[in-house]
Amino acid sequence: MFKDFFLFELKLRFKSVSTYIFFLLAALIPFFSIAARDFGPIGSGKVFLNSPFAVLLITTQVVAFGSILIAAIFGPAILRDFHGDTYQLIFTKPISKFGYLVGRWAGSMVTAIFVFSGIVFGIALGTLMPWADKLRIAPNDFGMYLRIYASIGIVQIFFLGSLFFCVAALTRNIVVVYLQGVALFAFYLIELVVVVVSNKLERAWASIIDPFGLIMVQSLTRYWTVVERNVVVPHWTGVFLYNRLVWLAAGALALLAAYALFPMSAEVLGSRRSTKKAEEAKADKDSVEHEPRRVRANLPQVAQIFGGATTWKQLLSMTRMRFFNIVREIPFWAITLIMLVFVLISGHFAGNNNGVEVWPVTFLMVSVVSGQSGLFLYIIGVLYAGEVIWRERDVRFEQIHDSLPLPDWTDFVSKFLALAMVETVLASVVLVCGVLSQAISGFFRFEMGHYAKEIYLVYLPQLLMVILLALFLQTVLGNKFLAHALVVGFFISIPTLYAWGIENRLYLYGEITPYTYSDMNGYGHFVKALFWVTAYWICVGGLLGVLAIAFARRGTEQSFGARWKQAGPRMRRLIAAAAAFLLLAGTCGAVFFYNTHVANQFRTAQQNRHRTADYEKLYKKYERLPQPKVTDVDVAVDIFPERRSFAGTGHYMLVNHTDKPINEVHITDSREAVQEVKFNRESKQTLADKDHFYSIYKLDKPLEPNETMKMDFRVGYASRGFKDGNERAEFAYNGTFFDRDYFPTIGYSQNVEIDDPVRRREEQLPPLEEMAPPGDPYYSNINLFTTDSEWVTFHAVVSTSPDQIAIAPGYLKREWTENGRRYFDYSMGDTRINDFFSFLSGRFSVKTDQWKNVKLEIYYQPGHEFNLDKMMDASKTGLDYYEKNFSKYQFDQFRVLEFPRYRQFAQSFPNTVPYSEDIGFIERMKKPDDIDLLYFVTAHELAHQWWGHQLIGSQTQGSNMMSESLAEYSALTVMSKKYGEDMLRKDLRYELDRYLRGRAGETRHEPPLVLVQREPYVWYQKGALVMFALADYIGEDKVNLALRKFLEKNRYATGPFPDTRGFVAALRAETPLELQYVITDMFESIVLYENRAVSATYVETPDKKYKVTLNASSQKKKSDGSGNETPMTIHDLIDVGVFSGTKEHLKRLNLHKEWITQETGTFEFVVDEKPTFAGIDPYNKLIDRDPADNLIEVEKP
Amino acid sequence: MLSIRNLAKTYAGGVRALRGVSLDIPPGMFGLIGPNGAGKSTLMKILATLLDPDTGTATLDGLDLIANKDATRRLLGYLPQEFGVYPKMSAVDMLNHLAVMKGITKGGERKEVVEGLLQQTNLWDVRKKALGGYSGGMKQRFGIAQALLANPKLIIVDEPTAGLDPAERNRFLNLLSSIGRNVVVILSTHIVADVRELCSRMAIISSGELILEGVPAQAIEAVKGRVWSKVVPTDSEREEIEKALPMISMHRVGGLNEVRVYSETSLGEGFLPVEADLEDVYFRQLSQHRPN
Ligand SMILES: Nc1ncnc2c1ncn2[C@@H]1O[C@H](COP(=O)(O)OP(=O)(O)OP(=O)(O)O)[C@@H](O)[C@H]1O
Ligand SMILES: [Mg+2]
Repeated sequence: MFKDFFLFELKLRFKSVSTYIFFLLAALIPFFSIAARDFGPIGSGKVFLNSPFAVLLITTQVVAFGSILIAAIFGPAILRDFHGDTYQLIFTKPISKFGYLVGRWAGSMVTAIFVFSGIVFGIALGTLMPWADKLRIAPNDFGMYLRIYASIGIVQIFFLGSLFFCVAALTRNIVVVYLQGVALFAFYLIELVVVVVSNKLERAWASIIDPFGLIMVQSLTRYWTVVERNVVVPHWTGVFLYNRLVWLAAGALALLAAYALFPMSAEVLGSRRSTKKAEEAKADKDSVEHEPRRVRANLPQVAQIFGGATTWKQLLSMTRMRFFNIVREIPFWAITLIMLVFVLISGHFAGNNNGVEVWPVTFLMVSVVSGQSGLFLYIIGVLYAGEVIWRERDVRFEQIHDSLPLPDWTDFVSKFLALAMVETVLASVVLVCGVLSQAISGFFRFEMGHYAKEIYLVYLPQLLMVILLALFLQTVLGNKFLAHALVVGFFISIPTLYAWGIENRLYLYGEITPYTYSDMNGYGHFVKALFWVTAYWICVGGLLGVLAIAFARRGTEQSFGARWKQAGPRMRRLIAAAAAFLLLAGTCGAVFFYNTHVANQFRTAQQNRHRTADYEKLYKKYERLPQPKVTDVDVAVDIFPERRSFAGTGHYMLVNHTDKPINEVHITDSREAVQEVKFNRESKQTLADKDHFYSIYKLDKPLEPNETMKMDFRVGYASRGFKDGNERAEFAYNGTFFDRDYFPTIGYSQNVEIDDPVRRREEQLPPLEEMAPPGDPYYSNINLFTTDSEWVTFHAVVSTSPDQIAIAPGYLKREWTENGRRYFDYSMGDTRINDFFSFLSGRFSVKTDQWKNVKLEIYYQPGHEFNLDKMMDASKTGLDYYEKNFSKYQFDQFRVLEFPRYRQFAQSFPNTVPYSEDIGFIERMKKPDDIDLLYFVTAHELAHQWWGHQLIGSQTQGSNMMSESLAEYSALTVMSKKYGEDMLRKDLRYELDRYLRGRAGETRHEPPLVLVQREPYVWYQKGALVMFALADYIGEDKVNLALRKFLEKNRYATGPFPDTRGFVAALRAETPLELQYVITDMFESIVLYENRAVSATYVETPDKKYKVTLNASSQKKKSDGSGNETPMTIHDLIDVGVFSGTKEHLKRLNLHKEWITQETGTFEFVVDEKPTFAGIDPYNKLIDRDPADNLIEVEKP
Repeated sequence: MLSIRNLAKTYAGGVRALRGVSLDIPPGMFGLIGPNGAGKSTLMKILATLLDPDTGTATLDGLDLIANKDATRRLLGYLPQEFGVYPKMSAVDMLNHLAVMKGITKGGERKEVVEGLLQQTNLWDVRKKALGGYSGGMKQRFGIAQALLANPKLIIVDEPTAGLDPAERNRFLNLLSSIGRNVVVILSTHIVADVRELCSRMAIISSGELILEGVPAQAIEAVKGRVWSKVVPTDSEREEIEKALPMISMHRVGGLNEVRVYSETSLGEGFLPVEADLEDVYFRQLSQHRPN
């Protein structure tokens, strides 16, 4: 019996085309992930596209998003019999329950396993494609593919399939089966928001209960280095094992439930389904029971009125009916409810930005609620577009409907309007969710205008465009599922086209130009582009709608030929509408085209990369050409915020500090802003390569060694119209901020070079040149930040609109109004600065304060007053600490300036710190132990006034750590003075997480700290960890002493510039002999610990104390740049300790360092209080791949 | 007067559903009978603007029904042979909606006509129930109600009595004939008796061709006295008669076969003359036109 059902099922499945289509679908994404650049989840770097890591990721994702296929395979296995009344035939026969259920299930299982083996097929096929990136493809390892497929794919199929099967068997309703899938997915999304988006470090539980394995895989592999990603296949251990077991068990339970609860009798099975019949019977009875009424002999005569008013009423009535038809459906409510839960949960986390709490201001909230609801609203729109088009035919009302006296267009328009109404209502609900979420998190500054703009003018039109497309496809194609498939294909095609370099939004249906809202600038300059592109696509959508009306079915004939014939005459009647939409679309398209292609040059990202690549290819040969250096900067800059433009004139003083005469001056103009260059001697421009940012001037009389010369220039940038994305973030109606890049750079500039290795390969560029090692004779004389300058004097006159304040580095000498413009004269006087300056303009409010004789100022957007006091406090505490420990502050002022959130960073210019709207001004400390990012960033940028503006390293490996790692160390120290050691420790745990993830994503090779080149995760995160570890070993005062001495010796160096050799020597000088290894390991190598608390027990001693025994193991490994590890013998001083309290709030009972010389050790403590935790390196001061297992609960033996 | 000229329709599959049908239909009830697949529904769909004929015309008092679909739809009441309903709508809401569609935009009138129809079709008590819960007969009555909205000038009802119980069938036929005096009503049915009782004129079509058109009583008159009946006990005897004589029909009566044959003269041999009815006309016409 089992065999019969099983074989029957298989035969049915393998005869059906859909099985093979599913197979191809499963193969599609894996195929492109391997064969097409930029498609897969792996990104660039050295990880093979078919490495175990890649295969793991691809398999998990395909199976997770292919859940719908699993539902489509397992659901019908049972539901097939209930579609018609077949069940009555089957269940009245003597069949075995086991045979029926298990046979059907097993048949589906085999089918699904076959379908998803398409993944392996797709991967293997992808590797064979001639155009695939062969350098990143390892030989096919089918054993590995299959092992991963078994442990991820087959387990998922078993679990999800059994669950779908169970639900299908017990409810016998396909809608419930799909809803259950949606619910699981929502559960995953919620987990994603709660755990991953808010950056929780603790992932074990979330991983175990993740039904799709996506979070599990992400958490499992997040610290894997390149080498591990290329070789490690996850074993069934730890979290992986538990997750698999949990879901295997869930699958088995579902199967058991299906088996136990499925009734094998036609009667019972029929009874549930017959509620409908019962209703009919009842209605019948009702009508019979009542005596027929007296019937009027004749029907009343009525007037039929046709014309405009009636058409309008018909449209309304039709729309209303269609609207209620949708909102009365259960799936609609199910999707809406899931969306609500999801949106509210996401709204709750709107104020959490990577673990940092900020005020849930409207721009954050509205982007969260609209972003998170989008998926659901698109599903509803597309799904019901199919329903509404086919409604009459599905319920078989079409013959009556089609012979109603309606104009052809009314029907289609009513369908569109009904959907638009549904979406408008839902979008309004989303809006309310946003407001509600703000209120729940205690934020009451509701900006309804902003909500309305975003939801009704940006979000809703996009939904409507997709709905029009879906309606069009449904109408023209004549098959609901085919049309759905095409819409899904459309959604996939858009990002794919972008990835393939098709970025012109005139061709990408429904795509609007990117925009960012900013409190400072509102929707600002994005409005025009948004308006035209939205209008354009709405009109194109309208045109599709008109075509759909012409092709719509009306009457019995469905063939495309017949509809084509009827489309002609209909089109003639629709010609006015079609022409109007065409004309409008044409006009909007023309305006858009003019702005994006004529007024501005249109370049794709790839074309831009070609230019930079060509710049490097053409001019890198000039890199070491002797060039003069800038010694003085004097400029006059006029900013025109309302035109998003500026114009400037000025001069540099140049000096020849080489020992040879200089004949040519080379100029790089990476922002295409330099308009004219003149020298105070005769010269001739011999090269003007505008396309590649380069020009060369030949001097008639060479500049002799030590001779100086004046160079005058004119610069400027004028925004014209709008662009198709890529608007320059530097220019805004309120919040202009541009820097030295807009002024001539002398000589070739490395900063322009492409650094992504894959992009470089695409451009046929050699691998990015390694920085020179410390002590390199050439680069020791070049400073890290500005290759083309020395310490400079600086003077600038800046003007702007009368309602704005303009700022440049320097002390304000004079302020005046002239010709309706506001002028500011800034000068650094005799104080020489790093040649690194910026210009800002905005409608600022200013907060001032004083520290000693230093003037403190914050220029901020009104409304962003939340944290100004803290910012001042951080500045003062920082100045205090840095002056006390390092050296005197070199300026009389320190200013922080807010700029729009188009860019998210803060940057330290001399005595001037532009600080993004996004990273602190709206910070909100919820709990006292939340990390105070604002305080930290302020202190960090202030610290750069020392580490970067006093101490500048040479342009060699490691120098970056002398600015960034030291700023990081200084700021964290200042923060711990305010918030205490606990917050410091918490912060360092995040630093550890980021460091480990950073090295996992390394695309080149990881350097040791003192040889760091371009690796932010090393200079920020590792730098902070290592500096604090050292301070913990030798003491903060010793570290500071070393820093002070090193700074004293090297500040304002003019070349040769200091490098990390000297820095290491300074540290070593303050470090005792037995701890010198710390510097070798942490600064000069990549060393990883694997400390683990194995067990801990306590006994109460007679004198009411507690004796704790801790068993711990320690290993130490050295890693190379790719992550290959070699074991080291351990002889290290490491923390061991015992605590009371909770994991989040440990209270130290005993913490001390012990010399660990063996891999395992036992430690004994006697403490006064009842202990809860014990561990080795419990605070994760050392770099440890698995930081969570250092601490263990103390138990009674 | 509805005049149909030469209507022909061949479906995409190659089925010739109508092969040049011409008919003149005066106001009043017009019965259309014919075997399954004869082309009745096809003809009605063409008249109801749902289908375009390959050739031919249909005009109602000068209005070209095929070219002027919009105008036709305004004066049409149509009940298809098979139809479904929006399951979640109630009868009263749906009729109201359809009334608006038919141009009854005055609220008061609409209410009156909808309520009147609900009562006439005996759906008043269930008017607020969802249509999805209606039985087959109730659904059919709802279909009738919507076809009669807005005093249509052309009523096309395709097997309207299918699924109605005898009481409801009577009620409907009464209603229809009360309306059908001044407007063109085309009714297709398989119950020949309905036509006899109600229709002033009728047509029989078969395989897409018109084989008889006229007044039912006259048609019966034409075969009067020429129908003979004989009761035979066995099948072999029946087959013998079938071979020898133009048989009209055969009924089983209490286990025996009653055979009716057409003959202008008396046949003897146990054949008795019987009163001819419309069914005899129908079967006689069909058997004459059976292609052989
Ligand atoms: N949409 C269609 N496509 C192809 N052939 C069709 C279509 N509709 C009907 N036919 C064929 O046309 C012929 C006439 O069908 P029609 O429905 O008009 O018959 P009818 O007289 O109404 O039959 P019944 O008494 O069974 O309702 C039949 O042979 C039928 O198979
Ligand atoms: Mg029919």
